[in-house]
Amino acid sequence: MIPAATHPLAGPPASAQPDSDRGPGRCVLLFMLGSGMLWLVLSAVLALISSIQVHSPQYLSDLEFLTHGRAQALAETAFVYGWIGNCGPALALWILCRLAGEPLRPSRWAGTGAFFWNLGVAIGLAGIAFGGVTAIPMLELPRYVQPLLFASYAAVALAGVTAWTGRRREVMFASHWYAVAALFLFPWLFSVAQVMLLWFPVRGVLQAVVAGWFAQGLWTLWIAPLALAGAYYVVPRVSGKVLPAYDTAALGFWCLLVLGAWTGGRHLIGGPAPAWIATVAIGASVILLFHYIVVFTNLRPGFAGGATSLRFIAFGVAAYVLGGLVDGVTAIRGVAVLTQFTHFDEAQRQFALHGAATMMLFGTLYFALPRIAGRPWASRGLVRGHFALYALGILLLAFCLGTAGWIQGSALNDPKTAFADIAILTRGWLLGATAAQTLLLAADIFLAVNFFTTLACAPQGGDKEGAP
Amino acid sequence: MKSGPLFFLGLAAAFGFSFAGIVIGSNAQLGRQAPFYDDSEGVSFPARLPGSAAAGQLAYRDLGCASCHTQQVRRAGFGSDVDRGWGDRQSVARDYIYQTHVQLGWSRTGPDLTNIAGRKPSAPDAGDLMRLLYGGQGAMPAYSFLFEDRKIVGQVSDDALRLAGRLEPAPGRQIVPTDRARELVDYLLSLNTTYDYPEAQPAPAVHPAPEAHPAPVAHPAPAAGGEAKK
Amino acid sequence: MSAPENQDPRFDKAAFGDDQLVDAHEKALAPASDDHAHYKLGPLLLLFALSGCVLYSAMYVIHYSGHFSPLIFDENAVPSSSTAVVKVDPIAQGKRLFNSAGACFTCHQPTGQGIPGTYPPLAGSEWVNGPDERIIRILLYGLTGPLQVKGTAFPGAAPMPSFGPAGFNWSDEKIAAVLSYVRQEWGNKALAVDAAKVAQIRQQVGERKAWTQDELLQVK
Repeated sequence: MIPAATHPLAGPPASAQPDSDRGPGRCVLLFMLGSGMLWLVLSAVLALISSIQVHSPQYLSDLEFLTHGRAQALAETAFVYGWIGNCGPALALWILCRLAGEPLRPSRWAGTGAFFWNLGVAIGLAGIAFGGVTAIPMLELPRYVQPLLFASYAAVALAGVTAWTGRRREVMFASHWYAVAALFLFPWLFSVAQVMLLWFPVRGVLQAVVAGWFAQGLWTLWIAPLALAGAYYVVPRVSGKVLPAYDTAALGFWCLLVLGAWTGGRHLIGGPAPAWIATVAIGASVILLFHYIVVFTNLRPGFAGGATSLRFIAFGVAAYVLGGLVDGVTAIRGVAVLTQFTHFDEAQRQFALHGAATMMLFGTLYFALPRIAGRPWASRGLVRGHFALYALGILLLAFCLGTAGWIQGSALNDPKTAFADIAILTRGWLLGATAAQTLLLAADIFLAVNFFTTLACAPQGGDKEGAP
Repeated sequence: MKSGPLFFLGLAAAFGFSFAGIVIGSNAQLGRQAPFYDDSEGVSFPARLPGSAAAGQLAYRDLGCASCHTQQVRRAGFGSDVDRGWGDRQSVARDYIYQTHVQLGWSRTGPDLTNIAGRKPSAPDAGDLMRLLYGGQGAMPAYSFLFEDRKIVGQVSDDALRLAGRLEPAPGRQIVPTDRARELVDYLLSLNTTYDYPEAQPAPAVHPAPEAHPAPVAHPAPAAGGEAKK
Repeated sequence: MSAPENQDPRFDKAAFGDDQLVDAHEKALAPASDDHAHYKLGPLLLLFALSGCVLYSAMYVIHYSGHFSPLIFDENAVPSSSTAVVKVDPIAQGKRLFNSAGACFTCHQPTGQGIPGTYPPLAGSEWVNGPDERIIRILLYGLTGPLQVKGTAFPGAAPMPSFGPAGFNWSDEKIAAVLSYVRQEWGNKALAVDAAKVAQIRQQVGERKAWTQDELLQVK
């Protein structure tokens, strides 16, 4: 480690740095991260069941609460609202507090919010299983539980915004922008979607337009910023390099924010909505390519070096940029006619959520937990195993689902191919996808075991290291 | 970026931009779209769903059917939807104005259902759909929990499914659909959107009648896709 | 500034502290000195990339927007500039009427072949392809009695019902549409029928009972 005194940009001596991780704030963060772990494992189990049902439809088909439509909704909700909804804001809060140099305040609000968020997700999942699913992608939770989630999230976000407004230094760093944007924008997105789709539903096809806007907005304005906040924070800190193209980082940020939700119309290509909605979405997708170029140029230092967090983040960034390019290509109508409504679309979604966002969150998690808990991760083997299994799993999943989708799309567009034949053609690839889901489940279990083992030993309290 | 309030304003503006453009913009255009009144037939299209079918739509949503079935037909030339007999024309916004929960779907593991009650040469009837739901077929799972396996008391019920082979119930027993199954099937049998709205005309014109004066129908001129030139 | 050695996967050491992180990046944003007239290619390439994306996107949106009309669902279509009334295609309407519940197809069949001995065919029929005065009268008032179509005799046990005021009471437009359809389908090649002509015949003839073949043959 570089001694603080000889560091060219040495700040104040270590002992004078406030300890941002002591006190009740620490417990709130650990609660959120722990809940996130459990939801992650549950969502992996449900995703595995859902994947099996696609190629073997009679699997668990007698159980009404696990019928395929509901199993898919359950897996997606547990993953997005359970895992990302806990881990993302927790890490964002931690980063904002670290950058502010303050402990987590007001921690009671955040703690209550986190508790009710998890309660809401649990009630919501039970509701989906027993008959209240809304069948709106990314918003499957029954409507009676959504206001509870909205209020809990607001409580948690309050802590984050307080940490940001109370920062000691006026200048902001890229992680600030992304974390604050994610914390601030989700309640608006969520409430607009709830009101216009569930409480006072708009007429006809407009529901699909708002649903598409919401789903894409959730990804570009909430999930991706949470992941990028962590990546922008960890990469320079661990690699020791200033981000190479930092002057363009702001442009990349605003590009994502301004254009992100406009790409929602791509789900309506060829559909019953006016053509301009899809056209504008395609236009926005093309300009959004610039955002991916900026992210790649900036986070390049993460690709060097073998630190755990950098490995995860490098994978995540590569997946994010590659996924973004594929998104841009499949938004073009000539390609969309093949990939729409197929497993390829699903492959893109899974690759983005698991390969890009989750891997970046994992990287941030591996960096943050020792500092929150006060001791390093418990097991080397589980760390390495987690990376290997997850990376292999997501690559296999994307490859198998993508190929299945391509075959399915070509067969669908040939009117002579009977529907029953399409299932036969894709069956092998879907079995591969199920195998990949098993790998992901194993990886998630590794992580959860490692996490809880780390916490089980008595924490020493405070920073693991006094210096950076 | 240094200024806090300005940053917040920027976030709000960025969000508001897409909200205003897509959500408010499309709502202003289609939020109050009315049904189309056909003078020569004397009725408006589309028609509202009858009671049982409306309940069936909730069952469709509840069971997550949209995870494998779409309800949107793409135009001829963009995919094979029309060639497969899923519809005569592209689905348009007006087809959905009376659906309380629009289920366009996002995946075609199973076929499109927009016009299942109007499929040519022969559309499935209630019995076919009941049997399909009870036993499953191909990639479609069985929904046996939508049915009751009852003892035959006296006569066989009129609603009992006619089954053969491995699906046949034990002797002395019959398979009867629950209310939910009945409503779901009623909903599926109401799915038939064949009316040719002016905006649904495909880009190349249909055969014009020689020397015929087309019957003028007094409507405000919408933007008809029929005049398109490539 | 060299990266710290991170051999242990269980813990990653950081090179920067938080304050140093923010400071170092603030410094990176400050304009570089001009001492060496240093020219950086990177930002210029990014600028070109952004401009290229915006240009392509703008052209795409303008070309395929359908003028942002809510009634254009095909991105290749453009709104029609005419403010004229909507013209309903009579052939399509006629086909729909022919095939509607309880109408023509139930007897004459969707193929226009009819039922031998009971319902005469419409395909290739001289009545259909002949002068429209006759066929309009058949629809408006009905037809009874024996009939000769394409050399085959139809005894007339099942008379043709009236679609005029005494029967189904179809409008002039509907009658003209279905006749125009029938006269160009299944190999028939006759001119379409005008709604105005139907109205004229209706007024000219007034009320009467169903026509017979002999009466019709006297009509010119």
